[in-house]
Amino acid sequence: MGDSRSSSDRHLFLVARKPRFGLPTACPSCLPVYLYLKLANADFSVEFDSSFPDSDHIPYVEYGESVALNNEKGGVIELLKEEAILDLNAKHTSLAIPDLVSTKAMVSSWLYEAILYELWIAIGGDVTHNIYFSDLPWPIGKILHWKKIYNVKKLLGVTKVNCEERELEIYKKANEAYEALSLKLGDQVFFFDNRPTDVDALFLGHALFVLHALPETSELRSNLLKHDNLVKYAEHLKAELQLDSTPSSTQPSSSSKDASTSSAPRRKPSSGWGAKPNPKPKKEKTEEEKKFRRRAKYFLATQLVAVLVFLSLMGVPGDSEMDDEDAVDYDEE
Amino acid sequence: MANSDPIPRDQAPPSDSEETNGADEISEEGEEEEDTEYEEFEEEEEELDPVRERERLKSIFRRLSTDPVHVRVHDVVIKGNTKTKDAIIEAEISDLFKKPRTVQELVAAASIANARLKQLDVFDSVSITLDAGPAELPGTTNVVIEVVEASNPLTGNVGVFSKPEARSWSLEGSLKLKNLFGHADIWDTSGAFGWDQSLEIGTGVWVPRFKSVPTPLSARAFLLSQDWLKFSSYKERLMGLNFGLLSTNNHDLSYNLTWRTLTDPTRMSSPSIRRQLGHNVLSALKYCYKIDRRDSHLRPKSGYAFSSTSQVSGLWDLRGLKFFRQEFDLRAAMPLGFWNAAFNVGLSAGAIFPLGRNFTKLSTSVPDRFFLGGHSSLVCSLGGPSSLLGFQTRGLGPNDMRRVLNLNKDEGSSVQSDCHDFVGGDLAVTAFADVSFDLPLKIFRDAGIHGHAFVCAGNLAKLSEGEIRNFSTERFLKTFRSSAGVGVILPTKFFRVEVNYCHVLKQFENDHGKNGIQFSFSSPL
Repeated sequence: MGDSRSSSDRHLFLVARKPRFGLPTACPSCLPVYLYLKLANADFSVEFDSSFPDSDHIPYVEYGESVALNNEKGGVIELLKEEAILDLNAKHTSLAIPDLVSTKAMVSSWLYEAILYELWIAIGGDVTHNIYFSDLPWPIGKILHWKKIYNVKKLLGVTKVNCEERELEIYKKANEAYEALSLKLGDQVFFFDNRPTDVDALFLGHALFVLHALPETSELRSNLLKHDNLVKYAEHLKAELQLDSTPSSTQPSSSSKDASTSSAPRRKPSSGWGAKPNPKPKKEKTEEEKKFRRRAKYFLATQLVAVLVFLSLMGVPGDSEMDDEDAVDYDEE
Repeated sequence: MANSDPIPRDQAPPSDSEETNGADEISEEGEEEEDTEYEEFEEEEEELDPVRERERLKSIFRRLSTDPVHVRVHDVVIKGNTKTKDAIIEAEISDLFKKPRTVQELVAAASIANARLKQLDVFDSVSITLDAGPAELPGTTNVVIEVVEASNPLTGNVGVFSKPEARSWSLEGSLKLKNLFGHADIWDTSGAFGWDQSLEIGTGVWVPRFKSVPTPLSARAFLLSQDWLKFSSYKERLMGLNFGLLSTNNHDLSYNLTWRTLTDPTRMSSPSIRRQLGHNVLSALKYCYKIDRRDSHLRPKSGYAFSSTSQVSGLWDLRGLKFFRQEFDLRAAMPLGFWNAAFNVGLSAGAIFPLGRNFTKLSTSVPDRFFLGGHSSLVCSLGGPSSLLGFQTRGLGPNDMRRVLNLNKDEGSSVQSDCHDFVGGDLAVTAFADVSFDLPLKIFRDAGIHGHAFVCAGNLAKLSEGEIRNFSTERFLKTFRSSAGVGVILPTKFFRVEVNYCHVLKQFENDHGKNGIQFSFSSPL
């Protein structure tokens, strides 16, 4: 326990959120961990959790009697490295470490914030519902959704007053990160020494999510598409790692599996808090959503009718006597 | 000659406004039996010898209590209800006064009616008077029900209770607002704080009947938080609604819609518990049949009791918990004929099965499974398998190892929490035998303090996730845990205390059984 053993000697269990949009896991926090295990050629199995969308500890990796949780010591990847279970960076020279660390910090902060903002505040709606709440009853999913949006706004410091400025700042940093990464990558297969590192897992997870899960109207997606080498890098590794678990388009410009099918005009920065900071045009609900809502209404109505019928049948004969306001006359003869 | 016909007209009882001459008529000998009528005892105009009057009244009471004095209820008059609807009071007593044909039956019916109306808990006092009927209708009586509505509709109480399913005792307080709308409705808000840091807040309404539904209905919203970190590494928070649809002496039907969240703030849970963390919806219909023919539920000496509870969950689309849960509980008591001793036996069993395709491979939710252990009374609690003296709460059965922390990877040292998570069983069986007896000292007997000796056994098994294939009745019986002991029971005004010495006869690895003295607190009611 805790000794340095190669990953091949130990089977790992990754618990992540469910797959969607042609990705092995649709959650932007879980995808980098999945890719890290894939890049490390680890022997692992995946289990999906769909009942705890607001948890901090998912994704987690179980190895033996221990577990690496997402909300401990920097995350699953850092824990796996620290425990010497899986360390992609071990073979890199010490000269690359400073550059590696700073690149990782940029991806883990600027791009992470950009994903959070884009997913929960800018877009939200169907994308987040499909990833996190589709397996929960609607009222619970809605409450948790609102709670998460509130927490994200708090985390990113987005308020009524500064939402526009914050949005510009977040996108600006994301663009700068994309440019820096594009320059860093060049024509290489991986970012550092043509060997995979945790930076590759982190950025690849980010890029695949942005390209496949976010709708075409996403500004973050549009910015990423401007850097061809980053897009090619993502698609190339997706194919090489055989990440296609469900049949879906591999073209990043085509529509992903979200509800957006219409080509909406480019958004304008929002100016108020009451409406969403980035008022996107409302997407049409898919047939599946309409069907789900219709069935939910029918089911609720049926339950109510059943309870009413039961209560009516429980009435005893002669109950109409009780409705008589006058005193009951017991002189029956 | 005995005459069962109604009272002859010429000897019909006087009406209220008439002067009473009935006393003179009744005092005539030889005609009292046929002519005995029932009348209200009014002041007589003629002055009688007090001794003779007393004798006369005694004679009347003797006849009323022993002989079948025929009478018929003419009318029921309700007085004193300014807020309470007449229909509510009539509905409680309507069936009682149709059948009685004699004074004795009428008096019995009146006492039942009195008890029913007091049970509504919205009246300060209830008095039922049997008045003489109209003069033109001899042999009839009017039943006059006079109620005094609660002067203060707002009441509160605080108490200390121990529930079988809880880890320890809890402080409970409640506020009740009675008869707000005149339907004998009771609105209450309650809160309970447990010693184990459990917290429950709830508010609800109870009505004795609603429109055509003759049985009580209730609706309650609640928020409950319970801490099982020490035993199973999770905290449970429930928020929901509970509707009582049918409630009689023997039957109880309710619907429960609950949002349940399991969390582990310690991050030390075992893999089994870790996979159960999250949100769930419980939409369940629960039916309970209970029959208790024991002479006492605190110290039964004769009789039997049986309860069956069935619960079906999964009434919320496809996303809620889906399972079927069944519990049985059978008790019997018999007197032993010495030292006021009684022998009690009990057998409880319960099982839970997931519903759905390939249900044998599905998992059940940990909070809905059965757990054994704890200090709740063997004899008093009636409601499925739960108690096994000598073992800690949730102290036996299927378990899973908690997380291992790697503190120093260079030295290869690690810390493993010294506990396992008890994950509960899908099948539970318990049994007990208990002998209660009076203690030698009179002072103890007068105070109701008595002793008891007991032996109990129980076991849990996992059936879900494919384990049903590995289930063996022989192994299940061989792995029964058991304990025995003696104790003293002290019934006090505020709670019932049991002080037991338990000796664990059989336990297995990882069980939390311990020999020694245990205390148990439960409701005195």
